[in-house]
Amino acid sequence: MKLGWKLRSDIVGWALGTLTVVFLAYQWLPILTLGLLSFAGPTGGTTFPMNGVSLHWYAELWKATVMNDFKPPLVRSSLLAAACALTTIVLSVMSAQAMRGRFRGNNWFFYLMLLGIMAPGILVGFGFAVLMRLLGIELAWNTTTFLVQVSWTLPFGFLTMLAVFNRFDSRVEEAALTLGASRITAFRRITLPLILPGVIGAGLFGFSLSYDEYPRSMFTTGPDQTLPLAIMAQLDRQLTPEIYAIGTTTTAFSLIAVLMCSSALWAMRRSTSARRS
Amino acid sequence: MSTIRARSAASYWLAVPAALWMLGVVVVPIVLLAWVSLWGGRTFSPASPLTFDNYTKFFANKTYLQLALSTVGHTAVLMAVTGVLGYGIAYFLTMKVRSPRWRLVLFLAFVVPFWTSTLIRGIAWVPFLGVNGVINQALIFTGATRSPIEAFLYSRFGISMAQASLYTMMAAGPVVYMLNAIQPALREAAMTLKAPPLVVFWRIVFPLTLPGVVIGQVLVFLNVMADFATVATVGGNKHAMLPNLVLLFYEGSQHRAASVVAVLLMACMLIGVIAALRVVDIRRLGADR
Repeated sequence: MKLGWKLRSDIVGWALGTLTVVFLAYQWLPILTLGLLSFAGPTGGTTFPMNGVSLHWYAELWKATVMNDFKPPLVRSSLLAAACALTTIVLSVMSAQAMRGRFRGNNWFFYLMLLGIMAPGILVGFGFAVLMRLLGIELAWNTTTFLVQVSWTLPFGFLTMLAVFNRFDSRVEEAALTLGASRITAFRRITLPLILPGVIGAGLFGFSLSYDEYPRSMFTTGPDQTLPLAIMAQLDRQLTPEIYAIGTTTTAFSLIAVLMCSSALWAMRRSTSARRS
Repeated sequence: MSTIRARSAASYWLAVPAALWMLGVVVVPIVLLAWVSLWGGRTFSPASPLTFDNYTKFFANKTYLQLALSTVGHTAVLMAVTGVLGYGIAYFLTMKVRSPRWRLVLFLAFVVPFWTSTLIRGIAWVPFLGVNGVINQALIFTGATRSPIEAFLYSRFGISMAQASLYTMMAAGPVVYMLNAIQPALREAAMTLKAPPLVVFWRIVFPLTLPGVVIGQVLVFLNVMADFATVATVGGNKHAMLPNLVLLFYEGSQHRAASVVAVLLMACMLIGVIAALRVVDIRRLGADR
């Protein structure tokens, strides 16, 4: 007897549902394990059993000096990420607006931006380091690393803004212009508030991609390391639950950033929909 | 009419800063690497004579060639695994979950790790895969094996496991986007005309999501090809892919050899992306169909 299509559809649903749930467990278990192990006791190793529960490794993290002090890298990475987010926002709005103007060579410009996503970080970092060496420019986290990281975050912001403008109804701008607003006023008062959720998205890309960036920074940072570099260096020296503690801390930090941005978006959407009704 | 006039000088000047930035930081260094890879002589300077010696040296070494091939093979396997997993998950999330709240929860659980550090997520696999790791302890506890399996940590298999968890989201994301854009009327029309569900999927749904599949595959391809960090943390020093070779040469101050590998890696990526761009037009994404 042939199975009815309703039943078959249910079977497919259950099979895919199981797959999804299993994958979610597969994806989250290592992260949760990392978090759990970071609370191991002072004698705790890097795997189970945990040998007690304590904040020992977090205290170590806080007390640490010189060699494995993660506080200065954390500050550097946060500042760098904030700077990248701001730069990404400004440049991606500018360049997406430019694309609407269909200037000559906009095709090439688009592929140039795409190249920033496509080119492997290790090549960009390595090539840029060689370039700086030939030019005799010192590497530093707040100059060369910043330049390189923006070339990574900007294309993501740019694509976000392009997608936003693709769905943008330019008739509202038209209305403002017909009513006598200058182009700049219309952009500031009409366009910008409407694309603001996209702008926040671009900023989130800028922050988060820069904060976690490793391959590009590796070649271009010089003596004062960013956080991912410091973590990698510590991993090379020895694997202790301290790594897990710092990993858990930065993961929590990233999650908080995402949470803040998405609640801002949510609040914004709610306020605009309230205005509409 | 809009806030920017078509083909105006303003639109051109708005694009200039970003264009200069990308040229100076991405294009110039890559061209420079291509140039450096041709440098002969003994000193590392622009005055070096140009030769293909560095390339012939690389291709004469069987180990390097095998490494290049195994990198491509490894990437192909991961593309297949994440592609199938990602499509299944995307289809479930958009088509099978009825309650909007559950859909949101599952979707968030799926994408949130993407916003955390890939490096940390790679490191998180280490306590999982080791001889005393979680997987081995679970296997011994359930009686599936008596002695721990050493094949997980510092192995190709372990690397693949970690990378599958890292990159499936990239294969699924674009598919979710394309599935959401399909109008229900299309499927209803097909079903009214008595097409069996499998035919509806194969003739209607799948072709409409194809651009998403291709973009997802490109993202996985680019990321796995260039991912040396996961290979280094989960694979230890026992395993290497092409990008690890760049690093190895760089640390040995063999800049020219590193440049050769860099150029080859870039060539692989260009070929992959150009092939994909022939199938889909990325610029139309997000536009109303």
